[in-house]
This record gives sequence, C-alpha cells and structure tokens, in this order.
Amino acid sequence: MASRNSAGKPLKLAPVLDLNEATALHNKLLELKGAPIAIDASAVERMGSLCAQVLMAGAKTWEVDQLSFTFAKVSDAFVKATQLIGVDIAPLMAKEI
Amino acid sequence: MDMNEIKEIFFQECEEQLAELESGLLKLNDGDRDPETVNAVFRAVHSIKGGAGAFGLDDLVSFAHVFETTLDCVRSNRLEPNQDVLKVMLRSADVLADLTNAARDGGGVDEARSRQLIKELEALANGEMPQPGAPEIAKAVAPAAPAPAVNDDGFQPVAFSFDEFEASEPPAIEPSTYEIVFSPKSELYAKGNDATLLLRDLSRLGEMSIRCDMDRLPALEEMNPEAAYFSWEISLKTEKGEEAIRSVFEFAEWDCDLDVTLVSGDASGAGEELPMHPVPFDLSLLDEEAPSRGESAEEDEEMVSQQRDPRSAAASAAATASNVLQMAQTAARAPLENAKVASTASAAQAAAQQAASAAQPTIRVDLDRVDRLINLVGELVINQAMLSQSVIENDTNGTSSINMGLEELQQLTREIQDSVMAIRAQPVKPVFQRMSRIVREIADMTGKSVRLVTEGENTEVDKTVIDKLAEPLTHMIRNAVDHGLETPEKRVAAGKNPEGTVRLTAKHRSGRIVIELADDGAGINREKVRQKAIDNDLIAADANLSDEEIDNLIFHAGFSTADKISDISGRGVGMDVVKRSIQALGGRINIQSKPGQGSVFIMSLPLTLAVLDGMVVTVANQTLVVPLTAIVETLQPEASAIHSFGASQRLISIRNSFCPLVDVGRILNFRATQANPVEGVALLVESEGGGQRALMVDAIQGQRQVVIKSLEANYTHVPGIAAATILGDGRVALILDVDAIVAASRGQTLKPEMTLAATG
Repeated sequence: MASRNSAGKPLKLAPVLDLNEATALHNKLLELKGAPIAIDASAVERMGSLCAQVLMAGAKTWEVDQLSFTFAKVSDAFVKATQLIGVDIAPLMAKEI
Repeated sequence: MDMNEIKEIFFQECEEQLAELESGLLKLNDGDRDPETVNAVFRAVHSIKGGAGAFGLDDLVSFAHVFETTLDCVRSNRLEPNQDVLKVMLRSADVLADLTNAARDGGGVDEARSRQLIKELEALANGEMPQPGAPEIAKAVAPAAPAPAVNDDGFQPVAFSFDEFEASEPPAIEPSTYEIVFSPKSELYAKGNDATLLLRDLSRLGEMSIRCDMDRLPALEEMNPEAAYFSWEISLKTEKGEEAIRSVFEFAEWDCDLDVTLVSGDASGAGEELPMHPVPFDLSLLDEEAPSRGESAEEDEEMVSQQRDPRSAAASAAATASNVLQMAQTAARAPLENAKVASTASAAQAAAQQAASAAQPTIRVDLDRVDRLINLVGELVINQAMLSQSVIENDTNGTSSINMGLEELQQLTREIQDSVMAIRAQPVKPVFQRMSRIVREIADMTGKSVRLVTEGENTEVDKTVIDKLAEPLTHMIRNAVDHGLETPEKRVAAGKNPEGTVRLTAKHRSGRIVIELADDGAGINREKVRQKAIDNDLIAADANLSDEEIDNLIFHAGFSTADKISDISGRGVGMDVVKRSIQALGGRINIQSKPGQGSVFIMSLPLTLAVLDGMVVTVANQTLVVPLTAIVETLQPEASAIHSFGASQRLISIRNSFCPLVDVGRILNFRATQANPVEGVALLVESEGGGQRALMVDAIQGQRQVVIKSLEANYTHVPGIAAATILGDGRVALILDVDAIVAASRGQTLKPEMTLAATG
C-alpha cells in the first residue's frame, strides 16, 4: 500500500480493442508491471471480450502486487462495453481530483 | 493474428468441411444411416455457416442456413434421406463449395442455380416431398416457421431451424425471463468471433442483466491473451422466446457452452440470488453510475479486490461498512485463490488442447517452407554427388574409410530426400472427390445416369502433381461422360445397364503413379475419328493408320468428334490440353478402346517433380539426361540393321520390326550433319503414340538420380528440353523432352529461334 498516492504510469489504450489487439495489450501491461498504472481509456471506441479479460487480469495482478491500477480517463464507449459484458470498472475508476 | 490470417484459416477449414460434407453425403447416398454420419454432415455445414457469419459473407450464410435447416430435418428423422433428397443435397454441397470459392477468390456464382436449390431445400424442409409419416409433422412445422418466399433479388434467410422449437410451446408474447449461462471456449475467439458482439445482440432482445464470471481469470503473466476465461450468467427478459436467444449464438454454438432456461413468465425472478448488473440501453445512464468515491487509498484497494469477487462486486453501488469488512477478508484470501484458479484454468486448458489434438496430430505448414527444404535437400544431393566425384578423381588409391563414409553419406542423403518428398506426398482423394461433383453435373446436363467408382484414393503423390492433376482429369471426366457414355436408351438397346459407370483408379506402379479412367460406353468410333481427321487435314485421306494411332488422333489440337458442340465438351480444346498438361507433369497418357465396351485412358505420372532417375548421355559433346522412365532398352546398332528411305529418314530393324531412327543431335541442332549410327548408341523409347522410336546418341555416361531445376524459371523455355539439372562435376545438363523430340522427328520441327536458344 506504499505507492498508493502516486498517479501511476500512464497507459493510453488504442481506439479499437478488438481480438487483434489483445496480445499487444497484454504485452504492454506486462512491460508496465511492478509500478502503479493509470490507464487512459478516453480514446477507446470499441472493446472486445479478450481485451476486457486482459485488463481485468491486469487489475487482479496489480492488486496482488499491491499497486494501484486505475482508469484515469474513460470514454463512453469504453464504459458501455464494460457494462455490456458485466464487468464493473467502477472500483477502478480514478478519483476525481 | 490479423483478420486476413484468420480468414485464410477459415477458408482452409471450409475446404476440409466441404470434403467432409461431400463424403458424408455420399455415404448416406450409399445407404449409410449412422446418426454420426448425419451429424458430421450437419456439423460441416454449420461450421461453414458460423465462420461465414463471423466474416460477414452473407450469401454463404444464407445458403448454408437453408441447407442446414433441411439437414436438421434429416438429423431429427423428420426427413428420410432417400436418393431424391440426397440428389438435392449433393447439388447443394456443390453450390456451397462454389459460394465458398466465390467468397475467397471473388467472382460470381450461378445465382439462378442457388435460388432454385434454396427452393428445393425449403420444400424438403417443409416436408413437401411425400414421405411416409411426414404429413402430420409437416403440419406441425410449417405454420411455426413459414419460410419467407425467395424473391428475385437474391436469397432470403429463412426462419431459424426448428430443432429447438417445441410445437407445444407457443411463441411467447408475454415477456418471459430466461437465465442464460454462456461460457465461450477459446476457439470462439480464434475464429474471429467476439463474445461482446454476441452479448450486444442478446441485449437487443430485451431487458438484460449480466454477471461476468471471472473466477477462471489467471494472473496477467499466466494468461494467454487469446484464450477464453470469462463466462457469463445472464438474465434476459424478452418476449421473443428461446429460439431468438439461441439464434444469437447460432454461429458460435460449437465454440461455447450455452444453457438457456426459462425461469418464469414474469420478470425479476432470477436476479435475487445472483446479483447482476443491468445492461442499460441508454448511454447517459453511466454518467450517474460512474462513481467518484473511494476517498482513501485503502478503500481504493479494496475496490480492486471487489472486482475479483463478482458476487460482492455486484453490490458495489452501495459500498457499506459491512461490505468493506467482507471485502477485506476476500482480499486476504485472494493470493491463494488466485494460484488455485490459475492452476485449474491452465489444467482445463491443457485438457481441452489434449482432447483437440487427440483426433489427428497434424500441423499445417506453409508450402513455401516445405519447398525451401526440398530445394535445400536438392542442393545437398548435388553437393554430395560433387563431393564423391572429386574424391574419386583425386584419390585414386581409394582409401576405403573415405569411400565408406561417402557411401553412407549417399545413403543418408537419399533417405533424407525420400523423407522430405514424403512430406509433400498427399493422397489423391481430394481430387477424386472433386471429380464426383463433375460427374454429377455433367450427368445432369446430358441427362445420362452415371455412377463414379473410385479406387485407390489414398494413393499418395506429390502435392504439385495433385494440384496440376485436377484440370486434365476434369476434362477427361467430362469427355468420358459426354462422349464416352451412351444415353440410357442406347445403353438399354445395346443390352447394357442404363446407368453408365465411370471408374477412376489410382495406383503406384514402378515408381510412378498410374491413374486410369475407364468408362463402359461405346468406345471410340474409329471410322468417325478417321474421317474427321481427314476432314481437318490432320492426316492424308489414304493414310494407313493402326487402331492405336487412330485412337490417339483425339489428342490432336482442334479435334472433336461431337456432332454438335455442347456446353460440356466438344469444343476441341479438351484432349490436346489434357495431353499437354500431363506431359508438362512429366507424364504419359495412353488410350485403349474397345468398340461397344468403352475406353480406358491411362495416365502415368512421376511421383514427384523434384527428382528424376535419368540416363546421362553425350550428344555432340553436350551432356544430356534422358528420363529413365521413357527408355525401353538401349542397343548398339549394327550397320546391317540400318536402312535408309526417302531423303534423310533412316530405320533400324530390331527383332524383325522397323523403328524410325531419330538423331537427337540433329533435331536439337547440335550438329549440321547426321551422325553415323554405328558409332553411337540407340535408346529405344516409348513415344506418345505408343509406337517406339530409336533415339541416336553418341555415348552413354551412366545412370543417376538428378535434381530437376526448372529451365523456365531460371532461363526460358527451350523446345525439346524439359528441364535442367546440375551434375556431380558442377556442370549443367539438359533433360531431354523425349516426346517433343519424337514429335519433331515426325516433321513438326522445333521452332528455329527456340532451337538456337537450345544450343546457346
């Protein structure tokens, strides 16, 4: 719980998070592992289940590492996609400053 | 993996499915009533439809859908797969193959044909074909799902299949709540489907609440980003009924576990024990939901843990104190659980993979890679030959250990070569299967009744040969059915079975593959062929030809005996094209015909196009290779056996028969004057007409296996020369095209400019 207050390294998500993007996203997350992360999902237009899986696995892993994993910014489409597939990102949303 | 790759895989799979479909239908046609066969056929069509749906190939989907619906009637025993039904289905399989090809390569399909078939299939599905016991079923089915009429704009999808639909369950008008458990398998994603899209379609059916089950999700490092971990429990309130729900998943049916249960007629029954997130239709709704809470760092972390436990997470809207406590406990348990989840998930994955691979452990390899390997092995063989030659030249003492080592190396290279060639070897089955379709189509067009019997489908031959075999074989099959077989009336009049038989056989014989195509038709009408040849100035009116030579006239360009030109054959482009394609493959074609009993075409092809056993000969100081398969015998001519006739022709008498003597050096323009036959060696070769010719060469150097290097690819085509090779001493030797040489000796001279190229 040490590094709670830092904003975390930024990770900007690609607009289209479809099946093709899952592996790339997975690699990007693995690279950033070990430090707090703040995900910018503001450009997301579309997200498929595979990318959602990767993000959630990331959230889980970061949580085990006791590091912060937040969605700093989200697009409507991103939120809608998470709602559609029943993934609740509310707890991961960044605090309003 | 990008989309094109996935699409390519889809088309590869389609090919396999189509083969499966056809062989299944043929089995049914032969009276096989094994439910597994019907299932296999159904699955094949279904998979094609599913994949096509994922890629938006609408024509393919709508046709496959109708086809599938009818097959489903067979599967559920509502439709007896008799000969008439199977005829329609086999034709549908053909159209399905056409549509698949059109989707892959572009190009059009015969729309009238597919529309007609859709109508026939629908008629079958609606039980319109009188079947024992069918009427009452038809009655039950027909009103439930009246198939939309097909209009002229194209095909229309019909209502979804009847199998899940119980007649006792009326179409729901009152909204009912269904509980759906949807667990996609990794294959779903591998095929380019996305669960999100399925869920989106589902959400459009009514009021939906969803719970995502993330229990199987492993840690980031352990996960495969393209595998399926999420599964969903969905509560859906809809008035559209269960079939509508299932139809959302129909393209993914084989790639997921799906469970749909009706909970109650009125809403909100299921939601209580499993807290779910409602899926809003309205985007603006999320603005209120997007929370700005979690003041402290601790709480934030607990929120993360909440994410992992969906049951608790569901209640997140109001994070009460008790909740926080509960979640803190969950968080403490988390690492343990994580490890457990990860291990079970990977175990399950491994088991699934094992199940999938148990079927047939094969791999798909890019053909280019195999070709590169073959090429390298070819170089190795050449190199090995060079090495042994230089050892023999430089080491006259013949150190036995070196020689033994070389021999072993030679054996090893030969073995490597054989194994590599075996990689490219494929059974001829797919080509034969395609032929059964050709037979069906031609039989339909000509109104003849034909049975295709195939033998030796598992005979293996090089992939290149297989690929190039399809075209000549198609021509020949068309000819056999169109020209060879008589009409049923004539057959009956001749005392034969009205159903004609075309027999396609493949077998190995002395290092070559022999493919025979036999029909039991009328045989070649030699008088007519002869007359036609005279009319077309192919032969002199008074030419004296043997039966065999007359039969072989049909291989001449521009020759057709059909009285009228039909759509199928008779344009006179058939048999000479066949012959050229077979020759291009290094093969020979022969014909045997018995009047009234039918004709047999015999093709003999090399098993591979990469290596060849050849006889190395010298002609006018040039080294040439003559394919061993062409050589019947070799002999040293004696002066007394040589007879001259005409200006420059010579014959050699062998065992009381005369055989034209062909001076290879003269024909290839290697020398200006004819060589003295007594100083050289004669190679007796089998020519295309079945007759023999004696090829004159200066000397025989020996016999060896050579690696074929294409002359066309590396230089340019040279008439009279089939290809080139590299000898042990590093020199290039040309491989003789025996048939071209023989043809040239008949007076059809090789083109002069090309001949210059040959000498240059």
